[in-house]
Amino acid sequence: MRSLFISVVFALVVTAGAAVKKEAASTPPNKDVKQKALSLVRVNVTGQPYDYFRPWQKKAPVSKRALGAVLSKGRVLVTADLVTNQNYVELERAESGEKTAANVEVIDYEANLALLQPSEKNFLDGIAPLDIAGDTVVGDRLAAWQLEPTGALVATEGLVTTIQMTKYPVDVGQFLTYRISIPMQYRENSYTIPLVKNNKLAGLLLRYDPRSQLIDAIPAPIITHFLKEAEGEHYQGFPGVGFSFFPTRDPQLRKYAGQTGKPGGVYITNVEPNLPAMKAGMQVGDIVLSVGNHEIDQNGNYVDPLYGKIDFTNLISAHSYAGDVLPFQIQREGKPMELKVTLEHRDAKDYVSPPYALDEAPKYLVLGGLIFQELSRQYLKEWGPNWQREAPPRFVYLDRFQSELFPGEHRRIVILSQVLPANNTIGYDEFSYLTVLKVNGQEIKSLNDLAAAVKQPIEGGFIKIETEEDPKQIELDAKSIDAEAPNLQESYGIPSLQRLE
Amino acid sequence: MKGVPILIAVALLVTSTSYGQQPPTPPQNGQQPNGAPLSDSPIEPRPRDVPPGGRASTPAQNVVAVPVPVAPPRPNGPIQKSLVRITATEVAPDYRAPWNAGMLGRGVGAGFVIEGNRIMTNAHVVSNSRYLTVERDGDPNKYPAKVLFVAHDCDLALITVDSPNFYKNMLALKFGGIPELESTVSAYGYPIGGERMSVTTGIVSRIDFQLYTHSSIDQHLAIQISAQINPGNSGGPVMQNAKVVGVAFQGYSGDVAQGVAYMVPTPVINRFLKDVSDGRYDGYVDLGITYGKLQNPAQRKFLGLKDDDRGVLVETVVAAGPCAKILQPGDVLLSIDNHPIASDGNVELEGERVEMPEVVERKFKRDNVKFDIWRDKQSTSGSVQLDTVPPYLMQSHKYDVRPRYVLYGGLLFQPLSLDLLEAYQPTDLRLRHFFDFYVIDQIYREHPDVIVLTNILPDPINTYLAPYRGGIIDSINGKKIHTMDELSQTLAEPADRLVIDLIGDGPPLVLDPKQVEGARERIKMRYNVVREQNLQEQPTAKAPDLQTKI
Repeated sequence: MRSLFISVVFALVVTAGAAVKKEAASTPPNKDVKQKALSLVRVNVTGQPYDYFRPWQKKAPVSKRALGAVLSKGRVLVTADLVTNQNYVELERAESGEKTAANVEVIDYEANLALLQPSEKNFLDGIAPLDIAGDTVVGDRLAAWQLEPTGALVATEGLVTTIQMTKYPVDVGQFLTYRISIPMQYRENSYTIPLVKNNKLAGLLLRYDPRSQLIDAIPAPIITHFLKEAEGEHYQGFPGVGFSFFPTRDPQLRKYAGQTGKPGGVYITNVEPNLPAMKAGMQVGDIVLSVGNHEIDQNGNYVDPLYGKIDFTNLISAHSYAGDVLPFQIQREGKPMELKVTLEHRDAKDYVSPPYALDEAPKYLVLGGLIFQELSRQYLKEWGPNWQREAPPRFVYLDRFQSELFPGEHRRIVILSQVLPANNTIGYDEFSYLTVLKVNGQEIKSLNDLAAAVKQPIEGGFIKIETEEDPKQIELDAKSIDAEAPNLQESYGIPSLQRLE
Repeated sequence: MKGVPILIAVALLVTSTSYGQQPPTPPQNGQQPNGAPLSDSPIEPRPRDVPPGGRASTPAQNVVAVPVPVAPPRPNGPIQKSLVRITATEVAPDYRAPWNAGMLGRGVGAGFVIEGNRIMTNAHVVSNSRYLTVERDGDPNKYPAKVLFVAHDCDLALITVDSPNFYKNMLALKFGGIPELESTVSAYGYPIGGERMSVTTGIVSRIDFQLYTHSSIDQHLAIQISAQINPGNSGGPVMQNAKVVGVAFQGYSGDVAQGVAYMVPTPVINRFLKDVSDGRYDGYVDLGITYGKLQNPAQRKFLGLKDDDRGVLVETVVAAGPCAKILQPGDVLLSIDNHPIASDGNVELEGERVEMPEVVERKFKRDNVKFDIWRDKQSTSGSVQLDTVPPYLMQSHKYDVRPRYVLYGGLLFQPLSLDLLEAYQPTDLRLRHFFDFYVIDQIYREHPDVIVLTNILPDPINTYLAPYRGGIIDSINGKKIHTMDELSQTLAEPADRLVIDLIGDGPPLVLDPKQVEGARERIKMRYNVVREQNLQEQPTAKAPDLQTKI
């Protein structure tokens, strides 16, 4: 739902946010530096991500150590990053070294937050839970809490320099973020670090740049939103609307949109099918003037009582919940209208190329040595941090422009990712990264489509696969595939030739 | 040939050159950056910079005068009587300010006299040249020269000197064949390291198809030799038994691979000489198809082919290519000009197994090629007249042309090309897609020119338009725009306002033509824009007048 031009909006927010409340920088030193009663536990996690290049297996296990913030009702808050793809989570009391296993109760990959619960009910007894401090503003001082190997607290104080919207690791929309200038040292347990203000939890470490000594933190309002929803029966996630927008600074664009009255609002450039904005009747070319009674300026900012000017998407993500009805004041060709948008959380599974797939085994199907998978950003991220440049260009393009290429479609893109050399794939072993269009004449819009289509060989007992790229067509002998299957599994150590769920 | 291997080579080059993986090398000493700036791709061997202690920085008094040595008996004869040193002053177009003449640079290369009072050298030695001089051994004069023919697709050129005295004592070199592997060859030229002719020797290491980096899209036969060749060797002859067996033209820089140098072999040279014998260079022709091996037993059975190891599968047929009339994807090519095609794509030609496109490689524009085709389990045949495939040019380097552009209201519109990408180094995924898949996805059919808003010269009328930079034009006022000519015409038509839709789901770019008209002179003055548009890639220069030697 992000348009090409979102970075512009974002850049403006940075400057606007930075200008707010400079005078607060002289706040007296934070007393949290001298905090004694620890509301922290160590969290030890062993995780094992799936190997998308050999989707039937997992990669080697990786261990991470972190600090969790102890909250009320015997819960421990950490980042989702920490416990993603976990096999085993363990809590450890800082002062005694006592350990117990823990379960992940609720996890939100998009907001990068997770709640843990110790398996031993009384494990956290005697630890004072942290309250949440939601009132942090630019200029405040926050303390980052870390532990010495002895269990002693090390608190480092930093200054909140900017509050703005940024992308979180899974890259679905933007969320409120604190940026803090802090001379923090590396210590073990550095994975999740709580940030504290007046003995209350103000944020969790999101990312750290040791060179500039800047950290980004998941702020209290996002944590509160997560905790509040986690109280309920069914956790949905942060809401969205499903449109892209553009600033209306350009008078020519305002004139084109037929805007009357004073300048302000954002121009809607795309409305995605089947999502809340379209359901509420929003159209390309509308100008959104206000959301939930907050006026939006030409750059897409509203005036927040705490932060001053900040991107209006914060009104949707941090202030609202899935199911809420938000009034949008718009102008369409100069006429004012109100649209009531019922917010929804968009699940990763509802994308054509899902933006993430964590804690779930990737689907695959091996046919005579050809490995078929569904395209996802998780798959592309196997190419590392520069995946946009290094992954196969067509796949990156399909992922990046999916909403434009497949508007409103419920489908997947099936790819032939690799070929295992075998008797059935002689002459095919150099093929890789192909987009599958049809199998045995049937259009393929999911791996399940493919699994069904290969069961119906065409005349002569052949399976015919058609691809977007060269070679355009691949034929296999259905009987020979079945006959060779045990050999193939044996040679390449594939426990099962398919996983469709 | 631009068959399957070409496309692979191009794709590799694109990812490694065009998307900012490496920052562009800044111009040094007022000279232009090298046309092939990457250290991991073959370099153009020509001096761009005067070496320390070299000819320009240290005048002659620092160098102990050595008499010209008496040539000892050498297997290749008196090369000094054939070798020339070519100095080219050139102007490379500036794609970031296309109304300017471009950046001035100077390069030195070698050349050699062949029959007919002609001098052979590399295309890249004389490309974009505005003034050429030739020097020879034992003669203090610099002779102005002119380009007769230049072949950018195989990096060869012919130049000549008008001065009647020049050729008097010169010996024209003769060409030999393909030298044997492991046999010794000698390379002559004027590489960095000194003033006078240099000779290095080595052996023939490999004979194979290689990417010719001058155009960066063409692949032809090239011979790898172990003789050291360096910038300044370009265009010089590589000799064996007193005959030219190649023209030194490219190599790797030392930090990538050592002792890997390439020469243009005589089959490519002879083809070039034959092509220009009618007074015009037509260039290499191409089938405009991609094909794949047919080695899979199930696939062969499906296609109804015999178990005889014959045939290749036609995969993509470029609509703008000559084969579009007779071939379609899924066809099997059984033979080309009655040479049976093996299932791995090889044919036997004069006793040698070579890749199928080699048959086409040896042909000329308007020659015919005949195929035996297997389609729907029936055999058929077809013949086509060969031609060049113009869409490929978008992905190749261009020389001796003026970049096309339209400047309107401070907005600079330019057609996508390899040179444009190298100039701007954009990271935009859509631009990359349009470039990478321009030919194989046949994007050129809808967008003969992929018109990009490359830059904005700031002015009050366009001050809010910066976010549109990098966009590709789809339509103007609802009318699809396919070419730069259409763009220019549409912008000139009277309208109350201009609504430019860019590809994708961004907002439209809206301009008021009256305001644009009012800002025209202001923008031209402020940014020193000489011309607001150029729609023709007309040659940048005529041959220089050749009157007197300097």
